[in-house]
Amino acid sequence: MSDDDHHFESKADAGASKTYPQQAGTIRKNGYIVIKARPCKVVEVSTSKTGKHGHAKCHFVGIDIFNGKKLEDIVPSSHNCDVPHVNRTDYQLIDISEDGFVSLLTENGNTKDDLRLPTDENLLTQIKDGFAEGKDLVVTVMSAMGEEQICALKDIGPKN
Amino acid sequence: MIRKACFCLCFIMQNASSPDAYVQAKVAAVGAQLMKRGWLEFPDAEKDAFLSEVKQAVLGNHGVDAQFMGVNFLESLVSEFSPSTSSAMGLPREFHEQCRITLERDYLKKFYCWAQDATLSVTNKVVECDSTAIEVKVCAAALRLMFQIMNWEFQCNKSALDLAKKGLNMFSSGVRNDTVMLKKSECVLVQPGPAWHDVLISSGHIGWLLGLYGTLRQKFSYDSHWLDSPIAVSARQLIVQLCSLTGTVFPSDNGQTQQHHLVQMLSGIIQWIDPPDAISSAIECGKSESELLDGCRALLSIATLTTPMIFHQLLKSISTFGTLSLLSALMCEAVKACLANNNEEETWSWYARDILLDTWTAILEPKDSGKSVVLPPDGKSAAANVFELIVQSELNVAAASAFDDGDDYDNIQTSISVMDERLSSYALIARAAIDVTIPLLDRLFSERFSSLHQGRGKSDPTRTLEELYSLLLIIGHVLADEGEGETPLVPEALQCNFVDIVEAEKHPVVILYGSIIKFAEQSLDQEMRAAFFSPRLMEAIIWFLARWSATYLMPLESGKQFSSNKHDLQHEPQLTRIALLSFCGDQNQGKLVLDIIVRISIITLVSYPGENDLQALTCCQLLPVLVRRNICVHLVTLESWHNLASAFANDRNLFSLNAIHQRSLAEALIRSAIGMSNPEASNQYVRDLMGQMTAYLVDISSKNDLKVVAQQPDAILSVTFLLERLRGAARASEPRTQKAIFQMGVAIMNPVLTLLETYKHESAVVYLLLKFVVDWVDGQIVFLEAKDTAVVISFCMRLLQLYSSHNIGKISLSLSSSLLSEASTDKYKDLRALLQLLTNLCSKDLVDFSRDSDEVESTDIAQVVYLGLHIVTPLISLDMLKYPKLCHDYFALLSHMLEVYPEKVPQLNSEAFAHIIGTLDFGIHHQDTEVVDMCLRALKALASYHYKERGTGKEGLGSYASGLMDPNGKLQEGILSRFLRSLLQLLLFEDYSTELVSSAADALLPLILCEQGLYQRLAHELIEKQMDPSLKSRLAIALRCLTSSNQLSSSLDRLNYQKFRKNLLNFLIEVRGFLRTM
Repeated sequence: MSDDDHHFESKADAGASKTYPQQAGTIRKNGYIVIKARPCKVVEVSTSKTGKHGHAKCHFVGIDIFNGKKLEDIVPSSHNCDVPHVNRTDYQLIDISEDGFVSLLTENGNTKDDLRLPTDENLLTQIKDGFAEGKDLVVTVMSAMGEEQICALKDIGPKN
Repeated sequence: MIRKACFCLCFIMQNASSPDAYVQAKVAAVGAQLMKRGWLEFPDAEKDAFLSEVKQAVLGNHGVDAQFMGVNFLESLVSEFSPSTSSAMGLPREFHEQCRITLERDYLKKFYCWAQDATLSVTNKVVECDSTAIEVKVCAAALRLMFQIMNWEFQCNKSALDLAKKGLNMFSSGVRNDTVMLKKSECVLVQPGPAWHDVLISSGHIGWLLGLYGTLRQKFSYDSHWLDSPIAVSARQLIVQLCSLTGTVFPSDNGQTQQHHLVQMLSGIIQWIDPPDAISSAIECGKSESELLDGCRALLSIATLTTPMIFHQLLKSISTFGTLSLLSALMCEAVKACLANNNEEETWSWYARDILLDTWTAILEPKDSGKSVVLPPDGKSAAANVFELIVQSELNVAAASAFDDGDDYDNIQTSISVMDERLSSYALIARAAIDVTIPLLDRLFSERFSSLHQGRGKSDPTRTLEELYSLLLIIGHVLADEGEGETPLVPEALQCNFVDIVEAEKHPVVILYGSIIKFAEQSLDQEMRAAFFSPRLMEAIIWFLARWSATYLMPLESGKQFSSNKHDLQHEPQLTRIALLSFCGDQNQGKLVLDIIVRISIITLVSYPGENDLQALTCCQLLPVLVRRNICVHLVTLESWHNLASAFANDRNLFSLNAIHQRSLAEALIRSAIGMSNPEASNQYVRDLMGQMTAYLVDISSKNDLKVVAQQPDAILSVTFLLERLRGAARASEPRTQKAIFQMGVAIMNPVLTLLETYKHESAVVYLLLKFVVDWVDGQIVFLEAKDTAVVISFCMRLLQLYSSHNIGKISLSLSSSLLSEASTDKYKDLRALLQLLTNLCSKDLVDFSRDSDEVESTDIAQVVYLGLHIVTPLISLDMLKYPKLCHDYFALLSHMLEVYPEKVPQLNSEAFAHIIGTLDFGIHHQDTEVVDMCLRALKALASYHYKERGTGKEGLGSYASGLMDPNGKLQEGILSRFLRSLLQLLLFEDYSTELVSSAADALLPLILCEQGLYQRLAHELIEKQMDPSLKSRLAIALRCLTSSNQLSSSLDRLNYQKFRKNLLNFLIEVRGFLRTM
């Protein structure tokens, strides 16, 4: 784990806070939101009022972008919600180690070896199969609020 | 079969007294079915003999039990022969139709008479004995049968009726023969035709029927349940049905007889509904409501058949008051009862109110050319009474529900669409008595208005707010109609009344809307706003202002009429009209009011943060009404409008609007540029408005740390909003502002590509980028000159390539299935946008307004679109094509390209070509007929192009048609041969909709002509495969006919295509049956 330090640094470098405030009324379906301290993708928004002549409130249904769990929240429309800073980075997949880690090539030529493979069988096979077929794979790693996970892979032609 | 029917009949007759009613009913139904099956085959004599047996039973000659069964059997028979209730027999539609016609012509009236005779035969008994005797059952059944016959959809005199409609009118004045389509309460017309005159009209049938019901009613008045007994229900149903009697059953005497008939009906029915207050309180004490409801239904039936005047007069001839007064009194009782029942749904008063409201609508709905209905004076006051009570009850409901909490009440859009029908009926009633109702509404509104002020700070205004909300909805409906995309006019009733008022300020309509606008204006004051103007109330205000503005604000005709009619000022009604129309016209108060409305709009956008519903109303309903051409001229001169524009460009506040509303707002602001005095000013206005936004995008996309910055939520938010705004601006492209909007797009072409790269994982931003380009190209492409077109097209191609490089071969991984399906939906939407982009590019070849001379080298659009398709096609997976819209768009574009530009196909490289062919192959086996049809059209285009080119000695599709060497050195079959094979296979052996045969023929003919040799070989194979010699020769003959009958020639003209369609259809009919069973 020689890259651990470097990795730590790069995180600090990004410097950005984990979340940003955004008015609830402007958060749309397909956007992101923090519900119960979890980063979620919004799959449903509906508005209603607090009493007939009261103010609007938004009802969000979100899905945790890491574990897929469904979460709900109600926020007054003019109040701020936390929106997570969701970052996605592409890496080339170099290796899959047997202890459940992947080795990834960063843009500046270093390697990143601290990312665990997903535990879900289905996702795991999708990654392993592509790698085993000898394809050149680029994986997209999604990170938010201190967590990261592979969220997509892309075949960029046969491995030379 | 008639034997079996006889058997059924005998069975039920013999077992007539058995208690097993269900079995008997079933057997009767089977008998009726058997009867119908054989109906067209039985000799008339047999039918008559059989039915005369039935008649004997019905008349009671075999005893009461048999009589009951006989009537039931006839009921089954009639229901079996009526198309809507017949049982499925697996026979052609025509058979049912024949049965229906003959039954109606030969028997229906007889059945009716028998039923009447059956009733007569038992009447004495029924009147004498108690309600449990078997005779009562017979009587009820016979009445039900008569009702059922009156419910028959009479067709025999349809042609006569059509004649009547066309002007050969036999019964016009007073009785109208058009029907108002009523939505809630079903009301059918009964038009049995002249043959029924003797039975129904001249024989005193009605009098007898009403008498019978009246007598029984009298007799059983002690029994509160009698009103719901079968005999009472059937009798009333028949009576109500007979109220709808119309058409040629009445002689052509100007409706005299029909009026007489209606008066007679009414005189019978009146006991059910008059006096309304007594009946209503009796019902509240437990009396059955069914008689009252039937009475209301009868009124509705009568109302649909008469003009308001006649309707009103009907009752006057037998009573001291008119029908409208009775209607009004009834309605008032129903409304009162509704209120008293605390708005529980499903009570009698609800039903009664709805039926009566429909009756009012039937009476008041303007008939031809929007001329409003005029009521007699006492009718008017009846309408006014009803309206007053209705408004009162709506206000009470509002006040009572003001504190309802919870999420189950609706926002304004839903509450209007739910209430719309009711509100429009209210509006009709109000407009019928406009001189009372308008001042009433004004009074009610002002009362609420001042009570707000008086109670300020002392009491909770919520009740009053809710009452105002409800009043605004009602007034909005009374004053103006829904335009439904057209410009609504001031309702006729409002234009024509108040003739003695010449000064606009004193016109009650002006006073009413004036006080509402004055009220709305108070929302501009911050303290007032905080105290009273809740978001919900503002929604009603904005809704009202939008609806009102569409009709009254600077109406197009106001200016013109005002000046052209000036010399005509003596004419008073005209004068009032003008006063009303021009009060808010462009030369009058219009500009002042417009300014107020704009300032209120700004308030709703700035001072109600997060109130999406309110802002949606402002951006999507109110502002679009204001940016009509005639209003824009004034709009752009207003300071308030410029304030809105500059707030939009600079104010962070407006940045917190929902993205969709940003788009609509931008669209409205840009569209208003059409009101500027010259094109330069318009373009400058657009540049000023959008300049900062494009600059921001250029700036952010050129940042070195873009990658880091861009992912931050606030950056994403800004980019999203700016793109939505630009998209709104792009959608507002007009010839006048085209230049500036083009420049706006050009300025951010590179940023768009950079952002597409940066946000490749952020599907929402990607979609917005694509949609912006789609809308921008859509608005611009037809105006662009060659140089600019080339720029736009190369940009679009770079966009397509970039998108493709990001997405091809990409797989989303997620634990959540709903996130995965979201991801595929996002992809689908992207692809649809890309296809729209290509389709928009295509339109350049069809419509082109640019002023290019021919010398300039112009871009080959077809080639570009083929290239675009080549880029997009690999992204469209089979799963994607399961989205019907995407599938349609894709095949529509492809077949359009192949049909219009077949000559480009030979120039395609083999990979692109293979894509297209693969797609067509997939398409002709698709389930969706339209998709198959589009593919067949494409095939036709390809084959006929090749055939015609070859005819003139050219290459045509070249090697693509003759066959290619594939990379392995194997010769691949040419595509025309391949499709000839697969199309024949499809036509002969597979399942498809018969609608496709003609387009298949159109594709098959040129394919056969191109590939004669192969066709002969295939035909030969087909014949050889047949084992059975007779089928073999049949097939051979059919194949010969396919290509030779009807003098089919080898040219590809319209006539020949037509002939071949016929040939193919005949061919398929001839051979498909036995080929497919092999």
